[in-house]
Amino acid sequence: MYFKLTEEQELIRDNMREFARTYVDPVAVEIDENSRYPEEVIKKLAEGGWMGMPFPTEYGGAGVDYLTYAIAVEELSRSCAATGFTMSVHTGLACGPIFNFGTEEQKKKFLTPMAKGEHLGAFALTEPGAGTDVGAATSTAVLDGDEYVLNGVKTFTSNGPVANTYVTFAWTDKNDKRNGMTAFIVPRETPGLSVGEEFKKMGIRASQTSEIIFKDCRVPKENVLGKVGDGLKIAMNSFDHGRIGIAAQAVGIAQAALDESISYSKQRVQFGKPISRNQAIQWMIADMHTDITAGRFLYYYAAYLKDQGLPFTKEAAMAKVFCAEMCSKHASKAVQIHGGYGYCKGQKVERLMRDAKITEIYEGTSEAQRMVIAGNLLR
Amino acid sequence: MPNIVCCFKWVVDEAYIKPSSSGKIDLEWAEHKLSDYDRNAIEEAVRLQEAYGGSVTAVTVAPSDATKGIKDALSRGPEKAYFINSEELENLEPSQTSAILAQVIAQQIDYDLIICGEGSSDLYAQQVGPRLAEKLRIPCIAFVKKVEIDGGRLIAERKSDDGIEVVSAPLPALITVLPDINNPRVPGLKDTLAASKKPVEEISLEDLDTEYPALIIDKGLRAASLVRNCTRFGSTPEDIQAFVEAIKKTGIIDRG
Ligand SMILES: Cc1cc2nc3c(=O)[nH]c(=O)nc-3n(C[C@H](O)[C@H](O)[C@H](O)COP(=O)(O)OP(=O)(O)OC[C@H]3O[C@@H](n4cnc5c(N)ncnc54)[C@H](O)[C@@H]3O)c2cc1C
Repeated sequence: MYFKLTEEQELIRDNMREFARTYVDPVAVEIDENSRYPEEVIKKLAEGGWMGMPFPTEYGGAGVDYLTYAIAVEELSRSCAATGFTMSVHTGLACGPIFNFGTEEQKKKFLTPMAKGEHLGAFALTEPGAGTDVGAATSTAVLDGDEYVLNGVKTFTSNGPVANTYVTFAWTDKNDKRNGMTAFIVPRETPGLSVGEEFKKMGIRASQTSEIIFKDCRVPKENVLGKVGDGLKIAMNSFDHGRIGIAAQAVGIAQAALDESISYSKQRVQFGKPISRNQAIQWMIADMHTDITAGRFLYYYAAYLKDQGLPFTKEAAMAKVFCAEMCSKHASKAVQIHGGYGYCKGQKVERLMRDAKITEIYEGTSEAQRMVIAGNLLR
Repeated sequence: MPNIVCCFKWVVDEAYIKPSSSGKIDLEWAEHKLSDYDRNAIEEAVRLQEAYGGSVTAVTVAPSDATKGIKDALSRGPEKAYFINSEELENLEPSQTSAILAQVIAQQIDYDLIICGEGSSDLYAQQVGPRLAEKLRIPCIAFVKKVEIDGGRLIAERKSDDGIEVVSAPLPALITVLPDINNPRVPGLKDTLAASKKPVEEISLEDLDTEYPALIIDKGLRAASLVRNCTRFGSTPEDIQAFVEAIKKTGIIDRG
């Protein structure tokens, strides 16, 4: 066993840190406050080659392994969890399934501009009545000539209002719960696709979340992703990949909470000494660092398995649930260390605590991750 | 079209410098980074290349494990690097570094302009540039904040105590640059990946066949320590007397 990143991985991590300090830190507060999509930052990410990291260069990507990509998500999220998530959803949930299940033609047409960062991707699976219970979806796709006609409402679609390309799911055979759902690639300009309600959120406010409405939306047969009926399988596989990104995002948020807590506690003086001299504060800091390190190695491990071509579903779920929960816990502790100032705008930990919570919810709630893990152990 | 050489140093990242409990400085776990102003040197070399063509070569003298530093430098634009390395090349003095650089540059590199950072982030002796120019017998313009090339000459604005001087020198020449000269670009992912494939000329101390003795002997590093007693003093004569007594008691100043 060798616990060391390669020089290249370290440099890429350091470069992302430099990128985030230069381009993201200066806008992070403003984009949170205004719920603004940081188009200029995403453009810079695209120019730097960060928007399609794990895909081969022939499809516009950078051809690095998944571990390196996840490390970049962590570093970016350390500055801004919303920007990190935008990159992660785009890469893991939108580009990912097209790369893993798409035809050569689809990879050329859709994946290439996405991996280059020219097109932004979104993943529209959740419906108002179908969250954890994906099978409760009601969207349908009916073949009519050479086109499928999509009808249905997707909700909570991240990047929804700003994406160019959607990966979405609908029943092609409602009676077949197992093999009746099909995945589609739908370009933004397709008639019948519209952006519905945009959500105002507690955290990751710079990430844009909306409904996506399909009304007699005609999608050519060539845009079926994978085989007809493979939708559920594709969705679950995408989550396996996406969860590594969310675990990394959570570690990035937690690391930022620790960074802030260390510097604040050394500088805040009460009872004549820095509060960091109190064992109560020291223990919080020690626990944070311990959990962050454990979480980081959990997601490194899941990514490593994926890069080795080994099964990683359980490990990705473990990384996701552990990192998300420790992130929420420690972001809250970081506010505790900052006292009243931490509860107010102007301290980064206030944003971190709001951003942290979502990591326990999207791409499968913590409860859903435990179902995956237990399901693997008890089968 | 100028052939530009930029020199850089791979230094301990000061963010990782921490005193151990014994008061010594523990550098075992410290990460390294490109010395801050050397980023400006590399950036300026690349900008001049974008404006005038020619080539950019990066050169460093470093311990053999500084391979990440080479990739870092190359990810910022130079097309080639000279990596003068040996186990012994740690904690060099400016006199040694400049002598080694001078020998390699004079013997192996075709250059019109050499760019160094104003000083390194660790020692900040500000000597390597001027010493190197002296050894190569070329003009040196230090503390440059703007530079242009006009035919066979260099025109530079340099900061001096009295203001800004505009000076000109024939090429080949050496400049040391201030951080004000540019904002170094952030390398993209593809720049980093491409860096691993660029040519690196490795030169060992044996290849040079020369001794570079140190003039100063390093007896060890000690960390400064900060103790907060949180005692407040006012500004009356009595307060000042009390302050003097208090620091005498700590031994910071001698009882006189
Ligand atoms: C900001 C944001 C961004 C999102 N981005 C996307 C996106 O890009 N694409 C997309 O498709 N979706 C997205 N989602 C949807 C997200 O994945 C769902 O919200 C999530 O899967 C949970 O679904 P739900 O909200 O309907 O909650 P529900 O499924 O209704 O769950 C409510 C609670 O019940 C629990 N629960 C449900 N079933 C069980 C069970 N069987 N056993 C135990 N507990 C259970 C859940 O864990 C949760 O605690 C996003 C959501 C948010 C808030």
